[in-house]
Amino acid sequence: MPHDKFHYEFMFGTLRPACLSLLSLLLFFLLSLNSVQGQTDSSQVEISPDNTAVAVTSDGTDEAVVAEGEKLFNTNCRACHAVDKKLIGPALAGVYDRRDLDWIKLFIRNSQAVIASGDEYAIDLFEEYNKTVMTPFNLADSEIESILSFIKFEAENVTSAAQTDAGVASTDTGNQAPSSFLSAVLIGLVVVLALILVVLFLIIGFLTKFLQQRDELDEADRDIVNQKFNLTKLVKSPAFVGIVAFVFGILVLKSVIDGLYQVGIQQGYAPKQPIAFSHKLHAGQFEIDCNYCHTGVRKSKSANIPSANICMNCHGQILTESLEIQKIYAAIENDRPIEWVRVHNLPDLAYFNHEQHVKVGDQECQTCHGQIQEMEVVEQFAPLTMGWCISCHKETKVDTKGNAYYDNLVELHAQHSNEPLKVEDIGGLECAKCHY
Amino acid sequence: MYQKLNSVIGISIILLLAACGAKGDKTGYEYAPQMYHSVPYEGLSQVMDQSAGQMISNREDGKGEFYNSNPHNPNEMTMRLPPEYTVKRNRYGLLPYNIPKDSLELAARQLKSPLSNDDAVLAEGKELYGRFCTHCHGTSGGGDGLVGQVYMGITPYNSVAVKDKAEGHIYHVITYGKGRMQAHASQLDPMERWKIVRYVQTLQQQ
Repeated sequence: MPHDKFHYEFMFGTLRPACLSLLSLLLFFLLSLNSVQGQTDSSQVEISPDNTAVAVTSDGTDEAVVAEGEKLFNTNCRACHAVDKKLIGPALAGVYDRRDLDWIKLFIRNSQAVIASGDEYAIDLFEEYNKTVMTPFNLADSEIESILSFIKFEAENVTSAAQTDAGVASTDTGNQAPSSFLSAVLIGLVVVLALILVVLFLIIGFLTKFLQQRDELDEADRDIVNQKFNLTKLVKSPAFVGIVAFVFGILVLKSVIDGLYQVGIQQGYAPKQPIAFSHKLHAGQFEIDCNYCHTGVRKSKSANIPSANICMNCHGQILTESLEIQKIYAAIENDRPIEWVRVHNLPDLAYFNHEQHVKVGDQECQTCHGQIQEMEVVEQFAPLTMGWCISCHKETKVDTKGNAYYDNLVELHAQHSNEPLKVEDIGGLECAKCHY
Repeated sequence: MYQKLNSVIGISIILLLAACGAKGDKTGYEYAPQMYHSVPYEGLSQVMDQSAGQMISNREDGKGEFYNSNPHNPNEMTMRLPPEYTVKRNRYGLLPYNIPKDSLELAARQLKSPLSNDDAVLAEGKELYGRFCTHCHGTSGGGDGLVGQVYMGITPYNSVAVKDKAEGHIYHVITYGKGRMQAHASQLDPMERWKIVRYVQTLQQQ
């Protein structure tokens, strides 16, 4: 019966592919679940302990004096001294036991005079701390005494404070909730899909068995019921070959065109530099302004690569043991410049000026250089093609406010256009602005 | 057979063109290298390899097309330091600062700022302070900038030791450095230093 045949065909023709697509969906969910798990893991790392200071009651010392001492300590001493550890200068805990009050006062007010007077303790201290001169502080007697009582108070409470700190530190689970909720939903979906899959396979098995037991089926129907998935036959079918050839042809064409467009464009160029300088650390984590090192950016055509003396502003003192920093010392010692590899190679046929764009145009560095504060190794972010320049010049409005230079231009422009004044209207598309 | 040949050609074209783009250490290929690379000496892009671009070279000295170094300069650099005993001209007519590094007290006594104390100067000083000082000295001058916290030894401007220091003192310290602070004369021209001095003076008094 033709009706039956259609029926079986329909049944097996749809059920099998349905199972296959369900299987792939399941796989997809499992994969995405995995990536969500990964994200949850990384978010757990970022949780920082909460360092809330715990108020400790005073034990006999006058609280007002201690508070006054703390204030003075923070403005005057903290830069170089801590109570419980060595910084630029010695740890101050116990200083009131090591030296008498008069000596301390003299040393704070003029340490160089104490050293010059031949005081052995002072000379040893000076030598021990690499001859770092302590700035003279003209503090009153009472001020020095209150600082000392603060130090004493801190030194006595520092251990208990550290203990409470450790107690307070706990992980905050609040910000994890959304991602764990998401994984729960995904797990639920996966389970449901798996169940559907099992049921479908059961139905197929049951139907096949049932049909095989029936006698009225002819040869063709039997074939359909007992058909096996035949991969070789499928691959050899003209439709399949045609589709594959078409897709392959399109891919080849696309990569040829893409490849040709990439010639002459250095977007993504990220050469290894002679010193592993990290913008992520300096500009990102420590928020050192770009201008601090690239001093030419507001004054000249080039932003400039900083010379070694700017590195030495900090690295003369810190991280002196690092192998990378040692390379700077070597460069200075041998009077040989560091051979940084130039990343942005604008073709010689084009002129570009940083000052014009950064100072006058008020552009952020990131507009052309990308998220440089997140780059461990600098990579060329923009394509630096002419089309890229032009499209920005067509979109960017000129800030004419409070600048009399533009008054006439704005007036003339307004006569024949309703659009605001853009870079293209003040010569941003003139050939000779960049090519000469 | 025909199909196999076809796919081999296709794959090799893809691989060939994938190599055109820039990635990692590779700059990728160029259409017209002779127009891309500078013939005159160019600052900040020194090429010391004499055989760079030898294949397309038509230079008379037989060196590579991209070779771009000045053999007459130290380290073959394309840039040079200004000649000794020359003075950089500036539009303010300021003479070069010639008080020696160890004469901090002399500078503090004698130096006077050429700038007034108006709001425009302060605003510019604040901007420059933000670019050149904040990371160590902190936004409010407490020595608590992100770098300052690691670098340490930065006296807050309002501490007893420095809050009454004269403008000449501040200028001299920016120029030559003091203690753990290094010289910043190469990054800031004299006028910029004086603008920062004005802003630092407001931070001393807070």
